[in-house]
Amino acid sequence: MLADEVVDCHVLVIGSGGAGVRAAIEASQYGDTVLISKTIVGKGGCTTMAEGGFNAVLREQDSCGIHYEDTLKGGAYLNDPELVNILTKEAPLRMGDLVKWGAVFDFTDADEIAQRPFGGQRFPRTCYAGDRTGHEMMMTLVDRLAATDVTTLQEYTVIDLLRDGDTVTGAIALDEKGTIVLMKADSTVLATGGGTKVYDISTNSSSGTGDGYAMGYRAGAELIDMEMVQFHPTGAVFPYDARGRLVTEAVRGEGGVLKNSQGERFMKTYDPARMELSTRDVVARAIATEILKGRGTQNGGVHLDVTHLPREQIESRLPVMLEQFLKFGVDIRTAPMEVAPTAHHIMGGLRITPECRTTLPGLFACGEVSGGVHGANRLGGNALAETQVFGKRAGEAAGKAGKRQKTADERQVDTWQKRLDGFLTGSMNPAQVRKKLQLAMWQGAGIFRNAGALEETLQTIRQLQTVNLKAASARNLAECCIVQNMCLTASLICRSALLRTESRGAHVRTDITATHDAEYSPFGHTFVSNAREGIETREVKA
Amino acid sequence: MKELTVTVRRFDPDVDKEPRFVTYTVRVSEGARVLNVLHAIHDSIDPTLSYRYSCASGQCGSCAVRVNGEPVLACMEEAKDRITIEPLNLAVKKDLITDLVPRLDQIASLLPKTEVVLPKKADIDAIKPLKDCIECLCCVSACPAVDVTKFLGPTAMRQEMRLALDPRDSGDRILDAVRDGLFTCTTCQACWKVCPKKIETPAKAIEKLRAHANRRGFTLPRHKEVAAMVKETGRSIPRTSESFLEKVGDVIEPDGPVKATVGLFIGCVYNLRQQQSALDAMEVLKRNGIRVIIPKEQVCCGSPLIRTGQLAYVDELKQRNIETFTSRGIDTVLTMCAGCGTTLKHDYQTPFTVIDINELLTQYGIEAPAKLPIKATYHDPCHLMRGQDIHDQPRELIRQVVDLVEMPSICCGSGGGVRAGNPDEAAALGKRRGEEIKKTGAEIVITSCPFCEFHIAGHTDKPVKNIATVLLEGYREKDRKTAAGKD
Repeated sequence: MLADEVVDCHVLVIGSGGAGVRAAIEASQYGDTVLISKTIVGKGGCTTMAEGGFNAVLREQDSCGIHYEDTLKGGAYLNDPELVNILTKEAPLRMGDLVKWGAVFDFTDADEIAQRPFGGQRFPRTCYAGDRTGHEMMMTLVDRLAATDVTTLQEYTVIDLLRDGDTVTGAIALDEKGTIVLMKADSTVLATGGGTKVYDISTNSSSGTGDGYAMGYRAGAELIDMEMVQFHPTGAVFPYDARGRLVTEAVRGEGGVLKNSQGERFMKTYDPARMELSTRDVVARAIATEILKGRGTQNGGVHLDVTHLPREQIESRLPVMLEQFLKFGVDIRTAPMEVAPTAHHIMGGLRITPECRTTLPGLFACGEVSGGVHGANRLGGNALAETQVFGKRAGEAAGKAGKRQKTADERQVDTWQKRLDGFLTGSMNPAQVRKKLQLAMWQGAGIFRNAGALEETLQTIRQLQTVNLKAASARNLAECCIVQNMCLTASLICRSALLRTESRGAHVRTDITATHDAEYSPFGHTFVSNAREGIETREVKA
Repeated sequence: MKELTVTVRRFDPDVDKEPRFVTYTVRVSEGARVLNVLHAIHDSIDPTLSYRYSCASGQCGSCAVRVNGEPVLACMEEAKDRITIEPLNLAVKKDLITDLVPRLDQIASLLPKTEVVLPKKADIDAIKPLKDCIECLCCVSACPAVDVTKFLGPTAMRQEMRLALDPRDSGDRILDAVRDGLFTCTTCQACWKVCPKKIETPAKAIEKLRAHANRRGFTLPRHKEVAAMVKETGRSIPRTSESFLEKVGDVIEPDGPVKATVGLFIGCVYNLRQQQSALDAMEVLKRNGIRVIIPKEQVCCGSPLIRTGQLAYVDELKQRNIETFTSRGIDTVLTMCAGCGTTLKHDYQTPFTVIDINELLTQYGIEAPAKLPIKATYHDPCHLMRGQDIHDQPRELIRQVVDLVEMPSICCGSGGGVRAGNPDEAAALGKRRGEEIKKTGAEIVITSCPFCEFHIAGHTDKPVKNIATVLLEGYREKDRKTAAGKD
């Protein structure tokens, strides 16, 4: 049977973070566009939580070439060079769009957009709006979206991509009451963001559950480098429920220093040249090592200290940090923060072309759900830029794509209806499955990995995937679908981590001794799809 | 881990006719927020509990709820035992989920000009304080005007002001703000007191927009009349009988030893309409060792002009008033009117300390009055409780003379020029106050602001008394008993 409710459009954009809204704005110039979102547009996703900034080359002393080199080096040369080239060249243009549309970025006394230094970059090129940069971008994008004729479906959960053979023809969604809605589209853009909610300790919003990776995989798309999970060096550690909450890199950009429990600025032993502003993979491992070696604080972190900075600088440049820590009883103007690594960003994702085409006809991807831009480690400030550069590209390519016969596979809808009915008579609380998954991933697929632990985690996930989930009411159906997506995404991370038999960027295999520097690695992307999996090899530079 | 018992308002439109309150006991970690309590209920007791959240770090504004009546972000508010969690005061979709989208859609968007204009740093600096808003709608939930008028609410006004400051925007934000209820705001300050980002919308947006509106000629006729009167007479209300300043001497000496000397800033309403309340206050001060100097050339504080955006004459008023007290070497100025007090404290830069009568009396302590066998409720004047953070002091005084029953602290509708400019709205809010008063079963209503005193009196059948009057009644009863004892 087909669902009663069917929405038909030219471009369907799934996800309402920075990439999704940017894609919808662009696509609306070419035809009927529908933006479907699990949350309220502007409130969900991770863009609105992004604090630090947006990398864009704006000054004569800087150049796109340097930004390109920084990004490749930071990404341990696993990035797709063409995507990086596009990112660095178009980031300034997309920054210009935002400013034209009303974004309130911080300005210098010379009436230019201000830029701050961020890790792994040779020029201070991170544009910012205090430490609420992503929020400012989202407010601007939502303003712009309101001026288009994009139809928004808010608080609808997409549960699967609709297929006709290999071609993606739209999506199946649930409304807030759990009723199936079919979305048919000539082109579908996945902009569902990341998925580090599969870890116990994560910076992500409630929507960082990896649904896009899972849906793309089920539809047959190929994903690359899914083992590349960025652990942000500085997440909150206290109180327990706030663990993992992002403490922005801007804190270190503004001059914050890291100290262990003995008061040592330990970065001098890990990266004496770049110190606290080394790349995130390096800083995260340094902090994790200090804690493992018993030089952590009582709450299991290290100190991040800005007390030497002028109060005014803290108040104006880091107001959100100041407010958040004050709420938890720490005045960062007079006392150090306690921080530890937290799962932050998935560098891998659906394989895309420069036009954001995935390996499936009809399906485009942009933002965190796509792979290749950041390689093995993302530079702070490149994700917000990516959302705008590739959001625009995806929207444009999807909009320009031709019309197609919009047929849906009735068996697919039937299968889903049966699966949903099954949830209503299931037995296991999805919240319990989610918690077990998150703990298993944190323990077995975290910063330091080995084949044994990864295999064990994969086993746990496979067991959780067979559990008979229970939806307490029709409104709870989406939760069951999401937990299944989390399990699938987690399994892709573990499988890819097993495929990459080297340590590179954020991916560290303690069971494998390094024999090469990243630049001379014989390996390219890992890839997984429901048809094949493996790791690309490449010619080693002399 | 610790155990908390909380009550949650549940409502499923498909099943329930009325909301119901359900009590849960959950185990949560130390430092748990309200959101963690909701997670605990959902994950281990009742998965059908519906609530909204996203970032869980105070940045997205999805999770606002009311805890014990106060709007808060569930993700930032520490959970306490025995709290009651309710949805915001907006249309409820299910349980704690309210229909935010229609309200969010009413917030204006920037419309870029056709030619590309870039802001300057000065523009950015002016706009930034209005840009921290996360559109959680706590302010809309708390706003009394939204309930009884078509006012779009505080954050919509904040956005109009933000856009008015932006050289890139092509809209007419002043016109839009006037259309969307700019003059319905009573400046009660509830919006920014509940704002998680502490955006001072009344002062930084509404009064600024009203000033722009004034320059564009949109000021309400009644407000213009008030401004004309202030300019002509130095007072915001007409003289219909002998004023307080005419009735009293230049100095009122206390009965006993002098504990403190203050200069009195009387304000227009006590001077010209509620003289008896002010005279009662003088008796109370006299009895409690306060020496009061009363300069006669003082004028209106300017509050009726500032709140309505008519700023042209305000600086002159300020200068005259400051000069009045400094020329006498007065270092502490006493206010009795909540509106004058908040104006002198926040809109003036005074070389002297400004102190409200409730602060003064509790600071120096009062002679105990006789306890009257009366059940009273207290109305918090907005410009006292929110404007000056004076909440406990009046209660401390009241409890010495009568039994106090509390009621929710909501604006009576008389402030911000609303009583003059939008009488229907003022009446609707006054009526709500009357209903709350009735619910308490109190025999009298006590307040400490002449505007509230006058306005509430029109909306309740109970006597509305100034706090000073009630204290004086306590002293008279005490004296009567003493005299009777001697007989």
